[in-house]
Amino acid sequence: MNNLTTVLSFTIGNKFRSKAFIITTIILALIVSIGVNVPYLITLFKSDKATNIGMLADGANIAEQLKVHYDSAEKIEVNLIILPQEGSADANEVMLKKQIADGKIEGYLIASDEISFGFPIITYQSEDTMDFGTINRLQNGLQQIKLGMVVQDLGLTNDQLATLSSPVQMEKVQISTTGGLGDGKSEEQIAAASAMVYVLIILLFMAVMISGQLIATEITAEKSSRVMEILITSVSPLTQMFGKIIGMFTVALSQIVLLGAVIAINISLPHNKDALKELNINLTNIDSNLLLYAIFFFLTGYFLYATMFAAVGSIVSRTEDLGQAILPITMLTMVGYFIAIYGIQDPNSMLIKITSFIPFFSPFIMFLRLGTTDPAMWEVVVSFAILLVTILGIGWLAAKIYRAGVLMYGKRPSLKELVKAMRAYRV
Amino acid sequence: MQPLTLQNVTKVYGNTTAVDNINIEVGRGEIYALLGANGAGKTTTMRMVLGLINPDSGRIYYEGKDYSQDLTRILGYLPEERGLYPKVRVCDQILYLAQLKGMKKKDADHNLKEWLEKFSVPEYYNKKIEELSKGNQQKIQFIAAIIHKPRILVLDEAFSGLDPVNVELLKETVKQLRDEGASIVFSTHRMEHVEELCRNVCILHKSKTVLTGNLKEIKNSFPKERIMLSTSEEVSGLGDIDGIHKVIPHESGYELFMTNPNAAGKVLQEAMKQSTVQRFEIMEPTLNEIFIKAVGGERHE
Repeated sequence: MNNLTTVLSFTIGNKFRSKAFIITTIILALIVSIGVNVPYLITLFKSDKATNIGMLADGANIAEQLKVHYDSAEKIEVNLIILPQEGSADANEVMLKKQIADGKIEGYLIASDEISFGFPIITYQSEDTMDFGTINRLQNGLQQIKLGMVVQDLGLTNDQLATLSSPVQMEKVQISTTGGLGDGKSEEQIAAASAMVYVLIILLFMAVMISGQLIATEITAEKSSRVMEILITSVSPLTQMFGKIIGMFTVALSQIVLLGAVIAINISLPHNKDALKELNINLTNIDSNLLLYAIFFFLTGYFLYATMFAAVGSIVSRTEDLGQAILPITMLTMVGYFIAIYGIQDPNSMLIKITSFIPFFSPFIMFLRLGTTDPAMWEVVVSFAILLVTILGIGWLAAKIYRAGVLMYGKRPSLKELVKAMRAYRV
Repeated sequence: MQPLTLQNVTKVYGNTTAVDNINIEVGRGEIYALLGANGAGKTTTMRMVLGLINPDSGRIYYEGKDYSQDLTRILGYLPEERGLYPKVRVCDQILYLAQLKGMKKKDADHNLKEWLEKFSVPEYYNKKIEELSKGNQQKIQFIAAIIHKPRILVLDEAFSGLDPVNVELLKETVKQLRDEGASIVFSTHRMEHVEELCRNVCILHKSKTVLTGNLKEIKNSFPKERIMLSTSEEVSGLGDIDGIHKVIPHESGYELFMTNPNAAGKVLQEAMKQSTVQRFEIMEPTLNEIFIKAVGGERHE
């Protein structure tokens, strides 16, 4: 136990002292700061001026009505410019294109003679038809005009119009069929829970990716620099491996906490206040049980992957070969991550149910189910039990591999050689 | 029982026997030479002594006891392939290794400073290993092996890659550790070091012990078959003497090899007849010669 703390403090101390680590952390912090401020930066560059859109005067007065509609809006977003007809379609096109070329309008609308459901088919022509914001606004405006025309024909009052156009209110409550009466998660709670699911999945993924690589690299480096030979004569490989795993966990966690702090500081800057409000997340809505689950799945998930990274790191002799060797584990993490991200949209699918029992994915996915649905207690317990048994098994195997692997040099050993060596060494 | 005893120790890897029935006893304050060509089984033997590998049969006793994890505190190891953290400061890694061996940080620091002073490199305390020359890295490696005052010390190729001054320095240190009572297992390819340091030797060849015992007795058991002769003038006809099978003329005289010890007298008589003899010596076999004979190699000429 004493040796564990020694290994731990050496691992952590070295990492914090290393220039590469400090520089990476600073760069990450910078990237994160920029990322958080991107929405604000975009608004800085976006002009608040209304978009100029041209429209030919037409017989049905659609252009005039549309102009009135936009001009009467609280915030003018579209400035409709009505242009006179030039006589022929070709002449119209020449004139409209010239308007765009001169920068007077961004695009133009043409109402064709063809009528569909009592309204002319409208064509929008512009150099940039991917500007969905503008297109949406145009479509909404036209919809209003159409509605107004129909309503006028029917002779409805304004109140009736308002009733007609107001959307149906629908609230969502997520219930459990096994729980008591009147329970369930309100929309706010679901929002908070799924935000937490996102956060945990991303945190776990980051922690595994950052420290998994670090663990494997450190072990391989100790092997290739041959310092391993002295280490294993001083401290048991198990202590050494777990010291490394816990040490790197601390390092990764402190890096994540630092980045989290950077994000928090950036979000709380005055100009970013609105962004947080839009997310509509109230931390008081987080279920404390869920928080416990989060901590548990985070720790178990981390240790499962960390031991695998350690085992692989111990087999490889040269740092150059490491990337290839850890690829399968990296892939496994990524599969779990992506299934989980996909599963947030559809947490009741069969894929999610099955993968929530597979130990390499369950830290991500069982937690997702806990956060967004209400899995039966036995499901959680079984998933947990499988996960714990796997961790013990992998931990034991990793320790065996580690023990044998650290003294094997040369090319990466075949499975047969490895098994042979594992029998030879003490653990 | 001696501090370190190996009894009928055997290690087999698959179909190949790496160490076959080896017996070693290293006493207190003794340097024991473990010799052998590359691949003879020295490293495997050392790794078994260090508790890294289990012997398949036979037993190893440490001060009369079986191996246990606690023993790491009295074991010291200088591996053949040097290894330290290249990017970590000397003080950090030596103190780390010493603490793993159960030392208090303060004591370790005190010892480290003392050793650096002794090796006249106190300025390396704050340097990174990668900034040091190979020979100086070796000194640090050596300190790492002995800082916790191990009672059983395994030195694999302790002096390779060092200049003569540093070899002398480390050799004196090894002698000092011996005098302080350490039991040292020592492997090298430099036989003159063995002759200088070791009381007992064990020569391994292809996993088997081919020669073992007290170095002096071993030497006496080998026939003396080499003569060094210096005369004031040239001497002819030495090769024709019965029992002499080879004469090599040197700048300062002749080196003769005899198959029959009686030939020595005839050589001296013949030399005195023709010239004045300045030097006549029947040489003890060197360990080098014994080693080459033992492992079945051809004598280099």
